[in-house]
Amino acid sequence: MDKVIMTVDDSASVRQMVAFTLKGAGYAVIQAVDGKDALAKLASEHIDMIITDLNMPNLDGIGLVKAVRGMPEHKFMPIIMVTTESQESKKLEGRAAGATGWIVKPFKPEQLMSVVRKVLG
Amino acid sequence: MSGNELDAGREAFKEEAAELLSELELSLLDLEQHPTDDELIGRVFRAMHTIKGSGAMFGFDDIADFTHEVETAFDLVRMGKLAVSKELTNLTLRARDQIRTMIDASEGKASVDNAVTEDIVVSLQILIKVSDGTAEASDIAQTESAASEDKSLQATYRIKFKPFAELFTTGTNPVLLLNELRQMGTCNVIAQTDAIPPLEQFNPETCATYWDVIVTTTQDVNAIRDVFIFVDGMCELTIERIDDDLEYDDSEAGMKLGEILAERGDVKLDEVNSLLDGQKKVGQILVDAGMVDKGHIQAALAEQQQLKEIQEQRQKAASAASIRVASYRLDKLVDLVGELVTVQARLSQTAVVNGEATLTSIAEEVERLTWELRDSTMGIRMLPMGTTFSKFKRLVRDLSLDLGKEIQLATDGADTELDKTVIEKLSDPLVHIIRNSVDHGIEKPDVRFAAGKPRMGTVRLSAGHSGASVLIKIEDDGAGLDKDAILRKAIAKGLISNDAELSEKEIYGLIMLPGFSTSESVTSVSGRGVGMDVVKKNVDALRGSIDIKSKKGFGSTFILQLPLTLAIIDGLLVKVADDIFVIPLSVVEECVELTKADVEKMNDRHVSNVRGVLIPYIRLREHFSIDADDLETEQIVVTEVDDKKVGFVVDYVIGEHQTVIKSLGRMFREIEGVSGATILGDGTVALILDVPRLVNTVERDTPTRTVGV
Amino acid sequence: MSVSATVEPTQYLTFKLEEEVFALDIQKVREVLEFSSVTRVPRTPEFMRGVINLRGSVVPVVDLRLKFGMTHTEKTVNTCVIIVEVAFDNESMVLGALSDSVQEVIELEPQMIEQAPSIGMKLRTDFIKGMGKRDNEFMIILDIDKIFTVEELAFAQEAGQSAA
Repeated sequence: MDKVIMTVDDSASVRQMVAFTLKGAGYAVIQAVDGKDALAKLASEHIDMIITDLNMPNLDGIGLVKAVRGMPEHKFMPIIMVTTESQESKKLEGRAAGATGWIVKPFKPEQLMSVVRKVLG
Repeated sequence: MSGNELDAGREAFKEEAAELLSELELSLLDLEQHPTDDELIGRVFRAMHTIKGSGAMFGFDDIADFTHEVETAFDLVRMGKLAVSKELTNLTLRARDQIRTMIDASEGKASVDNAVTEDIVVSLQILIKVSDGTAEASDIAQTESAASEDKSLQATYRIKFKPFAELFTTGTNPVLLLNELRQMGTCNVIAQTDAIPPLEQFNPETCATYWDVIVTTTQDVNAIRDVFIFVDGMCELTIERIDDDLEYDDSEAGMKLGEILAERGDVKLDEVNSLLDGQKKVGQILVDAGMVDKGHIQAALAEQQQLKEIQEQRQKAASAASIRVASYRLDKLVDLVGELVTVQARLSQTAVVNGEATLTSIAEEVERLTWELRDSTMGIRMLPMGTTFSKFKRLVRDLSLDLGKEIQLATDGADTELDKTVIEKLSDPLVHIIRNSVDHGIEKPDVRFAAGKPRMGTVRLSAGHSGASVLIKIEDDGAGLDKDAILRKAIAKGLISNDAELSEKEIYGLIMLPGFSTSESVTSVSGRGVGMDVVKKNVDALRGSIDIKSKKGFGSTFILQLPLTLAIIDGLLVKVADDIFVIPLSVVEECVELTKADVEKMNDRHVSNVRGVLIPYIRLREHFSIDADDLETEQIVVTEVDDKKVGFVVDYVIGEHQTVIKSLGRMFREIEGVSGATILGDGTVALILDVPRLVNTVERDTPTRTVGV
Repeated sequence: MSVSATVEPTQYLTFKLEEEVFALDIQKVREVLEFSSVTRVPRTPEFMRGVINLRGSVVPVVDLRLKFGMTHTEKTVNTCVIIVEVAFDNESMVLGALSDSVQEVIELEPQMIEQAPSIGMKLRTDFIKGMGKRDNEFMIILDIDKIFTVEELAFAQEAGQSAA
């Protein structure tokens, strides 16, 4: 079974870039447009890992991390936050909320892959 | 994969790249004069292709990425979509220089100006007007990791990693972090369990284990810190370098007290040893005293062991220091030894005829020395096949990872020795074949599982001697070759006509034709149709052959048969009419007589009864169309190749001869049945018989008469 | 390649095949040897006389007479092997050419060389670089590189094999 990764971002191009890279490495990818959409998909699909943006409508990244960590079945789900360098404080906030790690935008496919390998194997 | 093997691979890559780059330069300069020469264009493309492929394999990602851009341009040229312009050759020459710089930079001999790299890439892209995104955005700036990997920078670190209990609540899996460390080099991980509470208090959602890790790596301490970047602030982490004070040669300092005392004559060594034997090890004493946990002793022992090994390695490297010798000098040496062997044969012959005692004894002495010299000279050239195996392991590992497949490489016959040049020239073909097996042969795990095969695919690389040749097999248990697909493709490419009727062997042979490649996609793995045709060319150049066997659904086997192209072999001299031939002694089983009566008894069939076994034979006089009077009695030299016994009928056997192999030259390359020539004691030339090929030729030409009984 | 041949005087080695005089650009000639023994290589065309030992190297010897449709070269006291360096398949190769006798080294000005007539030469005209004329004697200047092309040999080999 290929592992399933959900990319959560309101920017379609970022989602596509992430999806393209991950599929190329043999992962299955589910896309969600915001935190709310992500929670809905999490309820209906099997997902092994989440890569989420921070600033999104409806439910933002921090909110998503908190919500996921609150679910007993997803307590140990690896979650990577996509941040920009100016969001150092967000990084700490995300960490406090229970994110596994982060990746700084803009990133290259191999950087993404090394982060994914680090937390998902 | 140890750091050593990787280093060896990297060295090999650098050497290979240097050669390719100088070739490339010449080709480019030629190309300027003849911009439409397809052969030159192909040469440039292949040089880039090889540098890219090998570069990626050994972690020179910057070089691989950069080279990819140039390769892309020449791929377009090859397809006729881009013309060779002055601008293109200029850019490519600059690119070539830049690759050179990148390689030098990896040895710390130069620094790479990324602006130059960028500029070349951008200019190339403008030139080829990339708009469809085939050339991915260039990422180049990864030189720092390549630059830091130098053997001398290898260091050993002690890492203590103690996560806080709540580590798991961030979705972190510490095992993955440890695996990442394992990939950095030689690594010893000891899990410490003394903090795990008794079962009734144990909470599986908290992390109570902590780890001691000893890692020897060429990467720096920052790379180790990066491993733990996501758990920063969630664990206790200490990283210390522990091999700073290891000397390159401190064997004196490494002596134990008892040994030093013994050397000074203060005590006898065996007395010390017997005293020590009765004593417990320090670790055991400490554990017994309850002062230290067993896990910690284990960690300390591992540390001690690893440091010792590193020290040994360093000493070995210092003492087994080798020198690099240009191969032409080695060739010259082999030539000279060859001449010496020839002259020595004459000396011995003369001594025997002369019968003078002093001369005879000198001749014998010279003979002994010559043979010793011959053996050590040949020994210099021989390398075990195994020296290249590690590089293939790495190749398979990395490729399967990239492709999302599970594949192991099994190897066999690592100690099979082959001439250095042969091994070198085999490297490219083997890489191509193994790549094909991994990329096209072995299926994805799910597909395999559905087909009732183990998820893990196997590529088996084996080497072994078979008579006078070396057989190298690359087997995979993948999907096998698809005959129909090959045929369709060959027809589509215009390589064969629509209605061609081909045997299975001929169909598989199609994949070795230039311009045939079953890979449609452009990946860094399978390449762009540089493949089996090049493999075949390389193997042909070694006077070898490739045989392909395949069963759909069960896998494919590529068998490379190569002559043992030693420069000197033991041969058997035989006379046929006025000509003298050499039969390699390694395939000779025995010699028996053949009388006219024997031949009549078998009704002129070319078969002889040797102690109840029927052995087919080839009459060299007939086969080589040599006219001479019939003989009453001839001799059969019985040979065995591939478990097949075939006799060669000669006038008589002269005797054994140290045969210095000389090439017959390009003009006689295609002569079947003769593998080379040698110069005899009297200065005349004798031909060396290529026994397997002779047998094949005769089997093919007259299948019923010669071998059938 | 000798495009320069039309500009500067060039030295030529002249030799005889039967009664005809031939010439070779001296730059192509390495040395001239006495013809002693040659080892036949089976299953090769007849004009390939075999191989000889040239100071430790094995060098093929061709019978130019056979190659040019004349009779087999018989061994006499004057028979020589002219060792030449030819371009073969883009690489240079050393081989020996049998000649009935070697004459001399001469110098020919470009104007002393004429285009070979395209008919009546008995010899394939692409083997001929030109006709040299000296003291009322004509000689055929050979283009030795053209004589041993890969195609030539491949063709000859087929012939040799079917004959064997």
